[in-house]
Amino acid sequence: MAMIRRMPAEFGYVLPLLLLMLALFILPIALMLARSVTQPEWTIEHYQDLIETSVYLRVLGRTLQIALITTVACALLGYPLAYWMRDLSPQRQVLAVALVVLPFWISILVRTYAWIVVLGNAGVVNRVLLDLGLVGAPVSFLYNELGVVIGTTNVLLPFLVLPLFAAMVRIDDRLMQAAESLGASRATVFRRVFFPLSLPALAAGSILVFILTFGFFITPAILGGGRVPMVANALDLLINQFARWETAAALSTVLLVVTLACFAMSRWIGARGATS
Amino acid sequence: MTRFLLAASGVLVLAFLCLPALIVIPMSFSSANSLEFPPPGFSLRWYESFLGDPRWVAALKNSALIALVSSTIALLLGSLAAYGLVRGTFRGRALIEGVFIAPLVVPSVIIAVALYIFFARIGLLGSLPGLIIGHTVLGVPYVVLVMSVAIRSFDHRIEQVALSLGASTTTMFRRVLLPNMLPSVFAAWIFALIASFDEVIVTHFIAGPYDTVPKRMFNELVLQVNPTITAIATLLIALSVVAIGIVVLLLRRGGVKIQSLT
Amino acid sequence: MTSRRTILKATAFAAIPGGLALPGIARAQGQVREFRMVEAGGLSGDSIEAGYIRPFTARTGIRVIRENPNPLGKLRAMVESRSITAVLYELGSLSVAIANAANLIEPLDWTAINPEPMFEEAKLPHAFGYQYYSTIMAWRSDAKPLTSWADFWNVRDFPGKRTLPDNVTLAVPMALLADGVAPGALYPLDLRRAFRKLDQIKGSVSVWWAAGAQPPQLLKDNEVQYAASYSGRVAGQPGITISYAQGLLDLAYFVVPKGANPSEKAASMGLLHEMSVARNQAVAAEVIPYTGASPTLEALLPQARLGDFPTTSTNKAIQVLGNPEWWAQNRDAAERRWQEFKLGL
Repeated sequence: MAMIRRMPAEFGYVLPLLLLMLALFILPIALMLARSVTQPEWTIEHYQDLIETSVYLRVLGRTLQIALITTVACALLGYPLAYWMRDLSPQRQVLAVALVVLPFWISILVRTYAWIVVLGNAGVVNRVLLDLGLVGAPVSFLYNELGVVIGTTNVLLPFLVLPLFAAMVRIDDRLMQAAESLGASRATVFRRVFFPLSLPALAAGSILVFILTFGFFITPAILGGGRVPMVANALDLLINQFARWETAAALSTVLLVVTLACFAMSRWIGARGATS
Repeated sequence: MTRFLLAASGVLVLAFLCLPALIVIPMSFSSANSLEFPPPGFSLRWYESFLGDPRWVAALKNSALIALVSSTIALLLGSLAAYGLVRGTFRGRALIEGVFIAPLVVPSVIIAVALYIFFARIGLLGSLPGLIIGHTVLGVPYVVLVMSVAIRSFDHRIEQVALSLGASTTTMFRRVLLPNMLPSVFAAWIFALIASFDEVIVTHFIAGPYDTVPKRMFNELVLQVNPTITAIATLLIALSVVAIGIVVLLLRRGGVKIQSLT
Repeated sequence: MTSRRTILKATAFAAIPGGLALPGIARAQGQVREFRMVEAGGLSGDSIEAGYIRPFTARTGIRVIRENPNPLGKLRAMVESRSITAVLYELGSLSVAIANAANLIEPLDWTAINPEPMFEEAKLPHAFGYQYYSTIMAWRSDAKPLTSWADFWNVRDFPGKRTLPDNVTLAVPMALLADGVAPGALYPLDLRRAFRKLDQIKGSVSVWWAAGAQPPQLLKDNEVQYAASYSGRVAGQPGITISYAQGLLDLAYFVVPKGANPSEKAASMGLLHEMSVARNQAVAAEVIPYTGASPTLEALLPQARLGDFPTTSTNKAIQVLGNPEWWAQNRDAAERRWQEFKLGL
């Protein structure tokens, strides 16, 4: 009964945003996506078409693959960084946070060109490698999958690091001290106490990175050299050049279902981490 | 040894994050007509071309206004909703959270078309309020995601103690929850701010004659490469460095430490 | 405030069936003070401002507000939501064919435009061709010169890396020309043959470019030695040599969205007239090396750089015009084949 009495208050906090989102986002989007089954009349032909020709679904699969690689790369790079930042002095923490968000001020488009300058055949890195005689011919960092992953990881890493760091600084040191005083090794304390406590934030940051990769547009097109077709580019083409809105709506609906399933899975992992 | 490895990897990852900035800043002082590195000579011409072009300045003003207003609205409404979602026990929370996350999940180009048609019907197309609303919606998922995790990991009992000691809900939010959440609040706000500041696809559709910085940049980069964009990036970096410097000073003067806040 | 008013006005007129707006009706509906156009933006937008809007506003007193960019999706959204906020909309030739088939655009009033002489392909019933551009061969000046797409494909005699557009409507005609199909016999395109030819060269293509700024950058960085590039990006660039031989000539058009306000439409025909004037086209060509549709423009262009422009009599004669209608009908199949091809790279 107590729960029911408390319901209105907390729902009241949610309500303003919920109304805003329903009216200004969900409604327009629903109308748009409904085109995949209502145009030109009630039909499932656009989905049949997607499945039969399958090429756009394979592009979606390729995008998922890139998103997964990017997420793993971000987690592997981001977790140690956030963990290291946690133990810095307050002033250094502010400095580190500033450096993490520094790339935000440079538009994604400009950063894409910066990578060409750094990693291209005539780029800084290759010139150094060639001068030192470490390689005989320029290394192909760009215009392949590696280029896409470098570019997207660089852009998306802050989205993982910041929430993770914010969660880590809130973890109470006394929990770890208590565990150590009970005779656990540092590694065990990390594995059994610290890591599970940071898992919800890691899961949230990872899913953010994962989802954001789907929206990537010009960066993969340029740094991938056109070899890594991404679903966002395919959708742009269908909407903006071919006026095939129904196909695009069907493809987006599939994408939506896949992503929400991934999101639900990450929540499940996060919740398990929180309770373990 | 572990400690050293950790510090080394931390510094390396930070370097990776900042590498583009290390390239972009020197290029903004380049005398070359195209993006060249290293720059052949020093010049301030790209700063002149930015500050001397009223269209760039207007675009920056629009971008700043839209980003500041939309991220603040998203932060306020989103944090409140995240609190309700985490602390509430009502049904359908997963569905509601799905609604809040949706703008991240639906492809931008679909959002662009949907909002165009919708805004045209309600008379918001090509207007500043329309742009602000659109960008607010796009910033909401970041706030809800980051703040939910933060609130979930905050001990519920501390809130209850504050309330049982006679604090009003508002006071509890302001004096107990907010100070404890500061790093997360910052993360949520800056994500929403950047989501707006870098947004280009939805803006292309609904902005009408309004220019924003990324919209102008996009045209310049796709149609012509021009180092003016590096000057803008450098100015923004300088601005953020000044802002961070002020934060550090305030932290020192107030004698507060982040760790004691958290 | 202006935007709000324009929207309200447009909604009010949405109920009036579109069609040919006669000058008499326009006058009866009151004086148009300003109208909007959607264009591609960047230098191209600046060239419209300098070459056409300036003389038009000076002559008529009507202000023209530019919006950009110009995706076809936005035009469809505009027409479907019945709020025609811009009376002129820039589209590429394929988009014109698609928009026409989808009933998104209205016929122009060519009597009211009263154009100066224009090339035939620029004068469509529902579209005004205002700017020619081309996709041509370009190479580092230290590489062996090419004379045809067959040379471009011949990596044995012309060694070096290539960049080709990540765009099926450009890559397929290039491949067929390289395979020896005569320019006049290109359409209907033989997709199977084209992709066989593309398979032959894909190992030598470092980059399939997406943004027009890429090819000149790739050439300068020595990432590739040969490029297929938009003409305006590479013409006159130091260190880069170009050839218009077998270039894929194309046109950007202006159209009127279906349901546009008739009096604004009538007023906008005057701007299209300015776009047909050779003198104005010469001004625009100073901003961007793409040219208008006047056959007499050549004499007004800077004679030292004549080779840079796509429509001089020498250059126009050796290029190939596309068939947008064929593409409009076959775009889905071709694009899916293209995505398959790229997934296999």
